Amino acid sequence: MSAQRRSWTARARERAVGALPPEKLLPDSQPVYMASWIYVFGVLSLASLVMIIASGSILSLKGPAWWHVTGVGHFFNSIHLWSVELFFFFLVIHLWGKYWMAAWRGGRARVWMTGAVAFVVAVPCALTGYVSQQNFDAQWISTQAKDGMNAVGVGAFFNVTNFGQMYSYHVLLLPAAVVALVAAHILLVRKHGIVPPFTLADRGELPARAADPEPAPDPGRVPEADPVGAGRAP
Amino acid sequence: MSRESRRREDESYREWHGAYRPYDILREAIIALGVVFTLAVGLTILFSSPDDPPSTIQSWSRSDPVDFVTTATTELDGTSDTGSYGPPYNHNGDGQHLAFIHLQKWLGVSHPINTAQDFVLAPLRSLTHQPALQTAISTYQHAPTTTQTAWTGAYETALGKATATRTGTVTVTPGHYGPVPTIMSSLLTFAQSGGLDGALLTSKQFYQTDYTKPLLFMADGGVLTNRAQQQHLLGSQWGMMNETGSYPGQVWLWLYTFWYQIKPFSTSANGDILVMAVMGALTLAFILIPFLPGIRDLPRRIPIYKLIWRQHYHTKPAPGA
Amino acid sequence: MSFPAAAVFNLNHPAHTVHWHFFSMSASNVVVIVLMLVVFAVAILAPFPRYRGTE
Repeated sequence: MSAQRRSWTARARERAVGALPPEKLLPDSQPVYMASWIYVFGVLSLASLVMIIASGSILSLKGPAWWHVTGVGHFFNSIHLWSVELFFFFLVIHLWGKYWMAAWRGGRARVWMTGAVAFVVAVPCALTGYVSQQNFDAQWISTQAKDGMNAVGVGAFFNVTNFGQMYSYHVLLLPAAVVALVAAHILLVRKHGIVPPFTLADRGELPARAADPEPAPDPGRVPEADPVGAGRAP
Repeated sequence: MSRESRRREDESYREWHGAYRPYDILREAIIALGVVFTLAVGLTILFSSPDDPPSTIQSWSRSDPVDFVTTATTELDGTSDTGSYGPPYNHNGDGQHLAFIHLQKWLGVSHPINTAQDFVLAPLRSLTHQPALQTAISTYQHAPTTTQTAWTGAYETALGKATATRTGTVTVTPGHYGPVPTIMSSLLTFAQSGGLDGALLTSKQFYQTDYTKPLLFMADGGVLTNRAQQQHLLGSQWGMMNETGSYPGQVWLWLYTFWYQIKPFSTSANGDILVMAVMGALTLAFILIPFLPGIRDLPRRIPIYKLIWRQHYHTKPAPGA
Repeated sequence: MSFPAAAVFNLNHPAHTVHWHFFSMSASNVVVIVLMLVVFAVAILAPFPRYRGTE
């Protein structure tokens, strides 16, 4: 037993499973207050990120010059560009929704912060893409952006006119950072659950007592409910 | 609201003790992927994406030889934007600062560029069988600095009224320019042949992926700016948000570009570091919203949440909840 | 060489610009921003299927 307690693996496993048991990681029920279309914009942002990575992977199969010389390459470049526009579109609406719901309540500050940092990191990720296009747009954006970078000293080690460096950041380093942040964000959402609504005084709701003697319903099980007609339309 | 009651209310939001309903998270994700896939492919078929071909030193020197030669002369005497930039390219300026914070200077010269050598003299020195050119370069290099400045200054003034001939050369009124016209005429020929693009890129080694030198050279002139103005990409045109053609651009940069439109950012020599400082502070505040009094309370005060959760609020609460 | 894109709508011409006081934005960006506001409003206001099971 003491050997188990000293085992890093066992401790890490117990912590992980404690924070995210399978029924929390992949739940098959959700709180009934989640009854608004605003809730789909998180998963739409995630789906856009998947499209960005998929189309970007196809572009990287043939190298950075491919899309200039073939119709197929140009097609996948277009998908990559529009996926980026869709990503930021859905992300901002998701952000607006979460702000007006004050979704950081109830110990969810890190959910907000990981989401915000993911957004902040996605912006330079997009910028490195724009300056890797190897066309006039890339020439203009890089020669303009360099002044902002240089003014704060960042230009000394992050050179937007250095195509090789920018391509490496765009294809590997920054997407890895975005994916890591999004993964942390989603795992925190699963761990803490979706934030409940504000309590309203006129509903007679009181803040819950610190130690509630009644056991909370298991989030992995649906309490004796009629499974027909539930949730979203397919 | 007292701090204690605030804390208790926040604790009540930690877990939901009410009802759940069935929900298929994987099906939702697959549907979302299908929706985004359809939208992305649809937008692609409808609009495609822009791909304006890049400018080259060759195309620049052919389409606007006067601008090319004028820019090259300022590179020779170090009065160009790059020549007088300061770090990270050279020590010919201090760069921008915010009060006592001189980040640009502190981070140093990490990408050394000597515009006279790198953009003009070294590429020309590589040309063989041109004794008159090599003599002109030596004459220039051995002259005192004041003489060099007098030559280039006079030549730049004359170039202000110069014209391009039909063959793409540049003619100026006669004057005291020393060896500068010989140097510039050779550089123009070299550029129009396409050789200067290559020379600027591969000067240090065969394999290169760093386009800093040709890009800075072009940016010092008018070729990129003129194209950008036509496409509404200039800073004064809110260009940071825009894209070539009629495509949507980086719309999310709206606040970053906004500051450049107003004083003091629009007129300050330190405009870039000022904007970066403001955006840095706002970004930090954005990340830390949960901890900022006032901003974190606004959602409670402006009850958009009543619309979002109206089904929940219109449902009779369960007894004992 | 840039490959001509066979799109339904050719957007490869300088953008129409919307000027309002000192705001100057390309028409396509204005469309995107307006669309975001509209979609946000619709998402908040559109009716959501009610769960019919017992609570």
